[in-house]
Amino acid sequence: MEFPVFFWAALGWMMFWGVLGSIATRYVYLHKDLDTSSTRLLGSMMGAATGPIGLVPLWIKTPEITTRLIIFATLGTLGVFMTAFALADPGNLCVTNGSFVASQISNGVIIGIIYGFMALGLTLIFSILGVVSFAHGEFYMIGGMVTYFMTTVLFPEVTPIVGIAAACILTFMLGALFERLFLTPMYDGRVDRPVEYGILITFGLAFTLQYFVQATVGANPVKAKRFFDFPRLRLPSAEDPWLIKTSRGNMELFETISISNPRFTAAVMCILVFIALMYFLRHTWTGKALRAVSQDRQAAAIAGINPDRMNMLAFALGSMIAALAGAMLVQAFSWLPQVGAIPALRSFVIVVLGGLGSIPGAFLGGIIVGLVEAAGTGCIPDPQKAASYIPAYGMIVLTLTLLLRPTGLLGRKFASGTHGKF
Amino acid sequence: MNKKNIPQMAGAALIAAFAIFPFVYSANDYPYIMHILITGFFYAILASSWSMLAGYAGQFSFGHMGFMGIGAYTTALFSHYLYLTPVPTNLCTEFPIGDMYLIILDPIGITSSTLTQDCLRQALDIWDGSVQVTPMPVWLGIALGTMMGGIFGLLIGLLVLPLRAAYLALFTLGFSEILRATVSAEIAVTRGQAGIELPYLFDNGITLFGHQFDKTDKLPPYFAMFFLLLACLGILTWLAKSKFGLFVRALREDEDAAAALGVNTVRYKVLVFVITSMMAAAAGAMMAHYIRIISPNNLIILQMSLVVAMAVIGGVEHFVAAALGAILLEYMLEYLRNSFEIGPIVVDMTTWRLVVFGILLMLTLRFSPKGLLVPMIDYFKRGHVRKETMAKRNAENTP
Amino acid sequence: MKKALVSVAAVAVAIAFSGSAAIAAKCPIKIGGLAPLSAPGAVGGGEAMRDAMLFAERDINAAGGVLGCKVKVVIADTEGLPEKASAIMEKLITQDGVVAIGGGYHSSVGVAAKDVSNARGIPTVFAETWNDTITGDKQQYIFRIAPLSSWASATLWKAALRVPNVKKVAIVTENTDYGIPAAEETSKGLAKNGVKSVIFGVDIGTQDFSGIIQRVKAEKPDYIIVLNTGEAGYNFAQQAADAGIGPQGIPFQAGQVALESKAWWQNVPDGNYAFVQRIGTPVSTWNAKAKKLNEDYKAKTGKGAIESYALEAYDSISILAQAINEAKSTDGAKIVIALENISHDGTLGRIYFPYGSKKDPSVDGKGDEWWHQWPDPAMTMIQYQKEGELSTESVIIWPDKYKTGPAIYVKK
Repeated sequence: MEFPVFFWAALGWMMFWGVLGSIATRYVYLHKDLDTSSTRLLGSMMGAATGPIGLVPLWIKTPEITTRLIIFATLGTLGVFMTAFALADPGNLCVTNGSFVASQISNGVIIGIIYGFMALGLTLIFSILGVVSFAHGEFYMIGGMVTYFMTTVLFPEVTPIVGIAAACILTFMLGALFERLFLTPMYDGRVDRPVEYGILITFGLAFTLQYFVQATVGANPVKAKRFFDFPRLRLPSAEDPWLIKTSRGNMELFETISISNPRFTAAVMCILVFIALMYFLRHTWTGKALRAVSQDRQAAAIAGINPDRMNMLAFALGSMIAALAGAMLVQAFSWLPQVGAIPALRSFVIVVLGGLGSIPGAFLGGIIVGLVEAAGTGCIPDPQKAASYIPAYGMIVLTLTLLLRPTGLLGRKFASGTHGKF
Repeated sequence: MNKKNIPQMAGAALIAAFAIFPFVYSANDYPYIMHILITGFFYAILASSWSMLAGYAGQFSFGHMGFMGIGAYTTALFSHYLYLTPVPTNLCTEFPIGDMYLIILDPIGITSSTLTQDCLRQALDIWDGSVQVTPMPVWLGIALGTMMGGIFGLLIGLLVLPLRAAYLALFTLGFSEILRATVSAEIAVTRGQAGIELPYLFDNGITLFGHQFDKTDKLPPYFAMFFLLLACLGILTWLAKSKFGLFVRALREDEDAAAALGVNTVRYKVLVFVITSMMAAAAGAMMAHYIRIISPNNLIILQMSLVVAMAVIGGVEHFVAAALGAILLEYMLEYLRNSFEIGPIVVDMTTWRLVVFGILLMLTLRFSPKGLLVPMIDYFKRGHVRKETMAKRNAENTP
Repeated sequence: MKKALVSVAAVAVAIAFSGSAAIAAKCPIKIGGLAPLSAPGAVGGGEAMRDAMLFAERDINAAGGVLGCKVKVVIADTEGLPEKASAIMEKLITQDGVVAIGGGYHSSVGVAAKDVSNARGIPTVFAETWNDTITGDKQQYIFRIAPLSSWASATLWKAALRVPNVKKVAIVTENTDYGIPAAEETSKGLAKNGVKSVIFGVDIGTQDFSGIIQRVKAEKPDYIIVLNTGEAGYNFAQQAADAGIGPQGIPFQAGQVALESKAWWQNVPDGNYAFVQRIGTPVSTWNAKAKKLNEDYKAKTGKGAIESYALEAYDSISILAQAINEAKSTDGAKIVIALENISHDGTLGRIYFPYGSKKDPSVDGKGDEWWHQWPDPAMTMIQYQKEGELSTESVIIWPDKYKTGPAIYVKK
């Protein structure tokens, strides 16, 4: 970085006004007897973006806090931050190289879609059971393992769809079985604190599954073959393929953005399944029943829905979604029994950012986390450290979300169940 | 004999047994068994302080290993970078303090050419043994580590005030993970994955009971860790029996109700974080000096899950049980390493033992959520009121 | 319930007194074998070393054992954690009663373990720990047959200088005490010869390298050196290949894991033309012992060929057995004297230790790290030139002494 002092000074200035804004704005709104629910977020963003110039009018006028206002302030903060960064480090690739930025963004979005899809399972489980499943990463790992064994070891000739289906069926059954055997005490008051019980018991499951797979399969990295090869495309013409150029394992758009085949397939698959899932939740009886239970357990029970069965379905379905994400990525990454830990942490970040229980929030959160990780890896000046911090970027997002807006971007307040509070 | 006193007496007997064990045991594997016990005590401190935090106060934090790491890294960095010399080196960053000079070493990370970069070693070469360099006292490092744990505990305690249950768990997990990533990325200062080395707990040896112990002997660290455990258990017991324990439990049951009844929830919530973090940090600092190396791998989630599992299997709402559970399980984990053969099949227990451990954790949670040891203690303690309580409970549970 | 309490007490007593029966018997003679067998250690490497060390045990016993006794190799799991190392060493030495220790994979584990064995007077021959400080402390009981990190790095940059028109090298390394010093040494060596280099550090266990690969690509390097162990080595290579800067895109030196040919081709299908640093002499010059071990190893593990660290692990055990025989005693100090005078025909070649208490490395103007260090484990650079071929059968492109064919430098 060329002018680190300038950058840190700017960051310090933003942080000072951000913290002051978040505390004082809340105090001002409280004092005037107004709704304080979003004051922290707005105050900090307004403070960080404009300093006293925006904060003082805010405190004087205390307008009603609208989503538009928050978005405006947040974009302002981002803008100020990026400007400060660009001025402090004018030689950075993120500042000088447009195609580099474009490829980082596209990378972030694509991997973010896959992350978001995995987190979707977690959010589904949470919205029905009120449990954060700590075994989510292990279902992801098992999904990949099963697919690998089906497509590469046992039946190398069959279509990969069979392997993916096998992974889904197996994890669905495993999820349902686990829910029946271990989660039922949560619902009828047999355990004192169901939320904590849920965390601990899924934690135990994660531990058991991970080492069980390691003990039986071993710890050598494995990988499935690419599910399909790109057809050879040269658009608009073979001589000057400025629009799309593909090889078997790669696709290049506009001669700048390159997308690898396994990620592309995985992202497309995730979007398709997401659409199917939305259809299922909105237009089938079971899906509606699931949503009803997530909104109001007791009312749903009165309406003739058996919440217990919905619990089982939700856990099994959520775990299956994680497994599906794993099944799609086993062609992109080398697979080990420990492979689930990092995606699981990332899923936690995404669901908190998107709002625990919010399905569109999970997708949005996934893309944002994907972008933040891409920005961190791509833009931090010291190449020795940029990638070392990858696990921390998401966690910083998590921390900020919990401090500024614990309900997340699209979170809602829950009406019933054990998850009424945060 | 009053049945009610049996747990206390068993406890006293156990303390006595642990206190005389190093003197009566003399088999070949003495250092190894001592090592397991010291490690067991270390986990016992973590598990019992975590059970205070999670079981008593209901704050399911996954950042406990992070606080342990803060304690360990504080003392590690303190003893690694600071020295006192009577004359200036003119090579390092240094400040005069009285008639001594405080030397601050340059952070050089891990390279193959450490010798040519370390300013103090260069100065020592120049002095050629004529100057005595004093390292920082180990106890001061441990005290600083404990304090630093308390400061971070205060900070985290304040930050998590509005968070409950799952959100709290995720936030503390995030804290721990950020810490781990930072330690492993800032190689220049922390030496990253290579781990940072520390001096012995008793670098000059120590004379105990009229016997001179060498710095590598296991007995002094055994008692140091044992007394730290006893001190922590003592503080926890005292806290649990005082007003503090009552309020903290009220926090767990219903925070809003407790606040409405006039309990200063903010103060107690933060206080319980500070106290338990300090215990974790103290244990970490002492353990780091005993093992003499600390690396970011101690902060991984697996390590945290060990502590959680130990506390749960022992009894998450009872810190003595949690401590005992930790000692027993540490022993079990080491013992189960031995592979065995069933006919021609060799079962490699290295991994299977962890599967066993996980299953044990799940079964305990499912069928004996209070842990495996607590029901036994309860049986004696509440034997006489048992029927009555059960009747009450049954009445409560029937809608 | 009272019974339960009694059982608790019984367990406590059992804790206190178990193990007292385990007193080191005279026969069999036990040798410890260190290997990482659980995470976060590199389990794949650890398992390979374990298998090789157990073969060493079998072969030693088949040849009549040591001092009239059978030999038993006690495998100990280091978990790749330096803080576990001291515990595991205590266990091996005091509970299992080993008289010597071989194996060892992670450098950080070796650094922590060496102090314990030296303090307890147990001769230790490290097999695959490269960090210079392990022998650099000149400890009486510590030996090493793995190459020195500083020296291995020299082969890295010397090979890099052979790439036609090389101006800039990108080094991707894990942020460990294996990777970072190696990367820095390599970078220094390149700088001396007027070649620029950029070091990219990554956390071990990183899965998704896409962001860092874009950065590497933007630097427009002429050569890429990867210093990642474990699955990260595969992940980086394949993802780089997807982005067009893999082994078929530009000259690319893969991490050590690439030697495990079967896994390499499965995990990195686009990995042809990768260069890999390999320890040990070419297969064509192997002695009967190495060839037999290779066959046995392949039969047991189903792998394509034996890895160099498995060979090292095997030799670390057999050299200790020979030293015990020559010392005619299991006394640590006597074994050390035997080791200092040894000439062992191992699978890696003739192993000996020229520097030690008889002759300090400084006599020959060498650094302390050459203490008890085998000076010539053969270091070669191989290149995969046919898809699916074995690392033991691929072309050796460097050094000239072992060269079997020309390197193919892919064009950008």
